[in-house]
Amino acid sequence: MRIVAVFEKGERIRHIGHLDIQRAVQRGLRRSDLPVAYSAGFNPHILVSFASALSTGASGKREIMDVGMAGEVTAQEFIERMNRAMPPEMQISEARLVEDRHPAMMALLTAASYDLTVYGDGTAETLIRAIPGLLARDIVPAMRKTKTGLKECDIRPLIYQLKAEGNTIRAVLALTEREACKPNMLIAALKEEAGITDDPRILTVRTQLYGTGADGKLQPLETL
Amino acid sequence: MELNEKIEGVLEFVQKAPRYTGGEMNTAVKAWDQCPLHFGFCFPDTYEIGMSHLGLKILYGLINREEWSLCERFFMPWVDMMEQMERENIPLFSMESRHPLRDFEVVGFTLQYEMSYSNIPAMLKMGGVPVLSRDRGEEDPIVVAGGPCAFNPEPLADIIEAFMIGDGEDVMTELNRVILRRKQEGLTREECLRELSRLEGVYVPSLYTVEYHEDGTIAAVTPKDAEVPPVVRKRVVPDLNDTYYPEEIPVPYTEVVFDRIMLEIMRGCTRGCRFCQAGILYRPVRERSMETLISLAEKLVSATGYEEISLSSLSSGDYSCLPELIRELMKRLKDKRVSISLPSLRIDSVLKESLEETQQVKKSSLTFAPEAGTQRLRDVINKGVTEEDLLEKVRDAFEGGWSSVKLYFMDGLPTETREDLDGIADLARKVVNEYFRLPKEKRMKGLRVTVSASTFVPKPFTPFQWEAQDTIPQVQEKQEYLKQILSIKGVKFNWHEPHLSFLEACFARGDRRMGKVLLTAWQKGCILDGWNDQFHFDRWMDAFRENGLDPAFYANRKREKDEILPWDHIDSGVSKEFLWREKEKSEKALTTKDCRLGCNGCGLQTWKGVCGFANRSGV
Repeated sequence: MRIVAVFEKGERIRHIGHLDIQRAVQRGLRRSDLPVAYSAGFNPHILVSFASALSTGASGKREIMDVGMAGEVTAQEFIERMNRAMPPEMQISEARLVEDRHPAMMALLTAASYDLTVYGDGTAETLIRAIPGLLARDIVPAMRKTKTGLKECDIRPLIYQLKAEGNTIRAVLALTEREACKPNMLIAALKEEAGITDDPRILTVRTQLYGTGADGKLQPLETL
Repeated sequence: MELNEKIEGVLEFVQKAPRYTGGEMNTAVKAWDQCPLHFGFCFPDTYEIGMSHLGLKILYGLINREEWSLCERFFMPWVDMMEQMERENIPLFSMESRHPLRDFEVVGFTLQYEMSYSNIPAMLKMGGVPVLSRDRGEEDPIVVAGGPCAFNPEPLADIIEAFMIGDGEDVMTELNRVILRRKQEGLTREECLRELSRLEGVYVPSLYTVEYHEDGTIAAVTPKDAEVPPVVRKRVVPDLNDTYYPEEIPVPYTEVVFDRIMLEIMRGCTRGCRFCQAGILYRPVRERSMETLISLAEKLVSATGYEEISLSSLSSGDYSCLPELIRELMKRLKDKRVSISLPSLRIDSVLKESLEETQQVKKSSLTFAPEAGTQRLRDVINKGVTEEDLLEKVRDAFEGGWSSVKLYFMDGLPTETREDLDGIADLARKVVNEYFRLPKEKRMKGLRVTVSASTFVPKPFTPFQWEAQDTIPQVQEKQEYLKQILSIKGVKFNWHEPHLSFLEACFARGDRRMGKVLLTAWQKGCILDGWNDQFHFDRWMDAFRENGLDPAFYANRKREKDEILPWDHIDSGVSKEFLWREKEKSEKALTTKDCRLGCNGCGLQTWKGVCGFANRSGV
C-alpha cells in the first residue's frame, strides 16, 4: 500500500532546496510514527518519493509525495498524524491510498501551473504586454539546462496556457522527465519579447501538478 | 510588514538564504504581544555554527517554556547578507517573528570562543542597539552574556552590562524576572543592574573600577560600594536530573555542523588536564541518571525525527554506566533506526565492548587526543594517557573494522622541546604500524591517520594561566618542523593558523583595555574573524598600536605568582592556590590523580554538597 499526499512548501521556506525538503519529509514521517516502509540495506531510509523536485526559491501550493507503507492506515489518519509532525509551512491537505502496483506519480506527471508575481515599477506591465506577441510566434527559442550543458530548444509547444492577472503571470507549462518549460525559461523569453534586460524580482509559486487523463486533457496529478 | 517585504526582497540575492528564513520544526512562534518579556538570544557566529550548539537549545526551550517570556534567535549574517541589509536599511531581525534586535527587553550573547567577539558589536549595531553600555538609554535593551568565555568578562566589560557566570539554567530565569521588573515597575537601568548584581553568579562590570600599575599589570579591582560583592561566584546546578533539559529541539532544514540530537550525559570532568579550561569551569562532575537519559532520548527522537544521537560531555567514556546506557539506548531505539555516536572518546576509558556496539549501527572515524608526543610532556599536562593505552585502543579499533583515526596534539605546551615534537611523528608512525600489523583480510581498506596540531593557548582558571604562549615565529618554526617529520605514508597533517591562536590568547587573558582594541578593530572592519577568509591580522595589529597596547603583553608574557589577574574577582570554585600547586607539579612532570580516585582539594570541597567526590579518600 502507498499513500499519495498533497503538501505545501510555504513561501517562507521557498529557499530550501529539494534535498532538504526530502530530508524534512523523511524526518516528519519518522516523527509521525506512521507505519512507513523502509528500504533494505546498510543505511535504510523511508520509501518516499516526490512527483517533482521544486526549485530552490519557488514555493508550492500542491506538491506531491508518494509514501510506501508497511502497515494499515487511513488517509485521514495519515493527514492528521503528519500535520502534527510537520512544521506549519509544510502541511498536508489531501491524501489517498493507492495499490503498490499503481504507477509512480513521477511517471504520470505531464504539466504544472505557476503563478509568477513580478515586482518592480512597471516591470509586470511590460512583461504582460509581451504575452500576446509571444503566443503569436510559431517558435520560441529558449536555453534548456541539461546534464551536458545548455541546449537550445523550442518552448512554444510547451506553453499550454499563459495569461495575467494584476502583476501576476499565470502559466501552465509542460513538465515531463523528457521535456519541460521551466518558469525561468518562460520569463527569459518574455523578457526578450518585451525588450528588457534587467532581471526582475519574481516570486514563483507552483500551484498545481498535472497528469493527462484518458480524454487527453490535463487533470490534477493526485487524482490519477 | 514593510520590513518583511524588504527582507523577502533581498533573500533572492544572497547565498544560503535558509540561514535567515527560520520556520524550522520546533521553533517557537509565541504571540509577541502576549509575552511581557522578550529575550533576543544572540549567537555571535553563523547559523550553521549556532544551530549546532547545545547551550542555545537548552536556554531557548527554557525561556520559551515560561508563559511570560519569549526567546527568539539571532545569528551573525554572512557578509553578502550584511551588504544587502545595509543597502536596504534592514536591521538585524529575529529568525522567528522578524523583530529587530532593539525591540527585545534582553539581548543575550553566548560566549563560546574569543574569536567571535568582533561579531558582538557588529550584531548590536545592526540591531539598532548602542554598542557601548554607557551609551544605552532607558529605552534600550539590557545586554547580557554567558558561556565559558564569560569567566574572563573583562575584555567585554564596556559592551556587556551583566555576565552570567557558570551554569545558566537557574540564573537565566532569575535574570529575566529582574529585567521584567524594569519594565513593569519602572526600575531605571541603573537600579535594574544593581538588582542583577545581587543575583548569585551575576557580574555587573560597571560596578567595579580597575586600576593599573605603570607596567600595565592590575593594581586593584574595587567594587564601587559595600553593596557590590567583591567576588562573584559561579552558579552550579547541583543535580542535573532536576535541571531543565529540552524534550524538543529545533530541527534545521539545511545541514548544520552538528545535525543530530545531543544528549548531555554529564557535566564536568574529573581528569584535571592542566591546559583544559572547560575541565575547571564545569566542575564538579554531575551525571544524569540512566533513567533520565533514556526518557529524554525517547522524547527527543519522537519530537525531532533525527536519525542520530550523540552522547555529549567533556569525557563521555567516564560516565559510570556507559556500556549499560549504550546497550539500553540501542535496544529502545533500534526499531526507530537511530544510531548512537560518542563524540569525545577518551582513549583510556572506552571499553572494547561498547566500541563494537556503536559500530553495529554506524562506523565513523575514531578520535584520540594524546595532546603531546612524549610521556614526559603528557605528565606535565597531566594527560593521564600512555602510549600503550593508545596503541591498544587503536589496535582494537582497526580490528573492529575502523580504518580512519584522528589524533589531536598541541604545539607550544609549557616545557616543550624538539624531542616532544619528534614524539608526535613517532606516535603517528606507530599507529600506522598497528594497522599494517593486521593481516590484510582482517583490516578495513583505506587507512587514514589525520594528525592535527593546534597551538596551545593559555587560558584563565587553568594551572597554565600564568604561562607564556609561544611567539608566532616560534610556532611557525615548529609547524614547519612538524610538516617535515610528518610526511609519512597514510598520515595527513593539519595545523592551526598561528595568528588566530595569538589573538585568541590576547583575549583569553585580556583585561578591560582589550575592549578598546576590540572596538577599534571592529571599526576597521574586523568581523567573522573565526573564518580564515575574513580574518585581517594586520587590522588587529593596527588596533593594538592605536590604543597603545602590546599584544605580547597579553599572549607571550609569563605572569608572577602575586600578580592580580584580570579575572581574580570571579570565583570558579577552584582555588588559585590549587591551580598554582598544579603549575608547580607540572614543572616537575608530576601527575595528579583523577578526582574519582580521591579528592585533590581543588577548592570545590568547601562548597557544601556540590561535588560528589569531595573529601573522599583514595581507593
